[in-house]
Amino acid sequence: MPARHLIVGGGTAGINAIRTIREEESAKSEITLVSAERPYSRMVLPYYLDRTISESHVFTATAAVLAQWEVKTHLGRRATNLDIKSNTCTLDDGTKVEYDDCMIATGSSAARAPVPGADGKGVHSFWTLEEARGVIAQVQPGTHVVMVGAGFISFTILNSILSLGAKLTIVDIAPRILPRMVDDTAAGLVQGWLEKHGVTVRTNTAVTAIEDAKGRKRLRFKSGGDLVADVVIMATGIRTNLEWLKDSGIAIKRGVVVDDQLRSNVANVYAAGDVAEGKDLITGEAAVHAIEPTAQEHGRVVGANMAGKAVRYRGSLLANIVEVCHLDVASFGAWEDGRAQAVNALRKDRPAYRKLLFHGDRLTGAIILGPSADIWTTNDVGMLKGLVQSGISLGPWKAHLEKHPFDIKPAYIAARTTGTLLPETVLGRPSKAPGDSPVAV
Amino acid sequence: MATLTQLPTRVLKITPTRCTGCLRCELACSYVQTGEYQPAKSVIRVSPFEGHTSYAPYTCTQCAEGWCMTACPVGAITINAAGAKDVLDDKCVGCKLCTIACPYGTMFYDTSTRKAFKCNLCGGDPACADACPTAAITYEDVVTEDWLADFAAERGQRLLTINGGSR
Repeated sequence: MPARHLIVGGGTAGINAIRTIREEESAKSEITLVSAERPYSRMVLPYYLDRTISESHVFTATAAVLAQWEVKTHLGRRATNLDIKSNTCTLDDGTKVEYDDCMIATGSSAARAPVPGADGKGVHSFWTLEEARGVIAQVQPGTHVVMVGAGFISFTILNSILSLGAKLTIVDIAPRILPRMVDDTAAGLVQGWLEKHGVTVRTNTAVTAIEDAKGRKRLRFKSGGDLVADVVIMATGIRTNLEWLKDSGIAIKRGVVVDDQLRSNVANVYAAGDVAEGKDLITGEAAVHAIEPTAQEHGRVVGANMAGKAVRYRGSLLANIVEVCHLDVASFGAWEDGRAQAVNALRKDRPAYRKLLFHGDRLTGAIILGPSADIWTTNDVGMLKGLVQSGISLGPWKAHLEKHPFDIKPAYIAARTTGTLLPETVLGRPSKAPGDSPVAV
Repeated sequence: MATLTQLPTRVLKITPTRCTGCLRCELACSYVQTGEYQPAKSVIRVSPFEGHTSYAPYTCTQCAEGWCMTACPVGAITINAAGAKDVLDDKCVGCKLCTIACPYGTMFYDTSTRKAFKCNLCGGDPACADACPTAAITYEDVVTEDWLADFAAERGQRLLTINGGSR
């Protein structure tokens, strides 16, 4: 069994892999972590932005924890080259790290639209902790914030910006918001909800330039109507950090192509999280799912396999949720599948919306929108996830859901979804609590 | 910490045919969990089947995977002394990842505290089981099963046949 594990990337996948190696291994191995940043969770940065948590709360594995785990660290360093013949990784300071097996989990970076001035002072991204610090220093009550891009990243920080008392405008070149998370109907409901809460949304709006304007920023648009704001946040997408592997011999399409044990074309090199192109649970096709749950599951599966197990990953389920001013918006699986049979139901006044996508009598995708305070919203969020994840045959209950898309619970229970899901685990054994790992996270 | 990695030895056993729909479990649960007599804050939920003539309580199974626990990005969900998955309020930031990870619909979110909450078996003395007057909810040393499926499939027939199940 390999004795020297190299983890490249200290995000969700990396930390989960390290913890799982220590949980699963029969003899203590050597683990080396290379990470450009100290390990922290990007998921919680919005709560740091709105000051509900302190900066110390964002870190997932502190130096003390990594020391207890006996992890050799190269923090603040980036990998620049992987030599798959000599099993050596080169870092940006020239250090060479030899390994027996290696996991690539270098994640993604914020990508800025190629607009003149988009890289200027006072224009921010919100992806890394360093970028978050930059935004936090600038947003005060009354600050006018413009977010360019109406995708998932913007929506994760929207509540925080509003709760700080800032004025918010969202602009996007596309005709609608949240294009990769929900359908047109749900997007329209969310946009209306935002406007009701005082947010200005400008779709079909292409930014042509961002200029300095006496200490503020002026945005120019193709359609005219300049906007002057205090802070500009570019949330125009992410790109995977894979340039360093360009000539390595590792097979890359949209991400590092991995098999069902998350190995690349090189047997002792694994990939996980945003940079991995693995199996989609619903479609069975290869896909990149740059979402937290996939990074977590990938990391644990790779960790177990590095520790000598042979865990097969059944595939990643696309799942997203954002809360928009106390409105929950979530989608699961193949929610955009044109070949699926789709039924939907809308209660415009609440607002509440369900879209269910079927292949035969199985649910393969779902979109749900509803008030956060409505206990049935969270109930249905989970049950829709369970129906899609289990792929349960709904039998006669499919017809019930077609007629009553809001009445999910009896169909879920009567179709025996609970019993089907109970034996399911990611690693083939009960999970351990974070505090029960060799050391606490 | 002791190695509390096992599944709970005692679980909430649900015998749906005994449930009368009195909702005492919801009141007891919300009171112990949140200090309010507010069924909307209960983490055990009584649902009607077959119109409003039969009922059954539904709550967290304390599943082996612990989807909520493994999904939490800040380690805010742990296993308590009763073997239940339990949210640590001082660590939870309210990101809702657990609500899309749990495939059973038993993770909840409190809009006033902005934290996730769930069944923690009241630390080993579940209030719902205490409150149930008909022993439809008991706290027993058994293996968790799908307690409601047979009942729901049988009682649901009327939902499927009358008006396609309109309520």
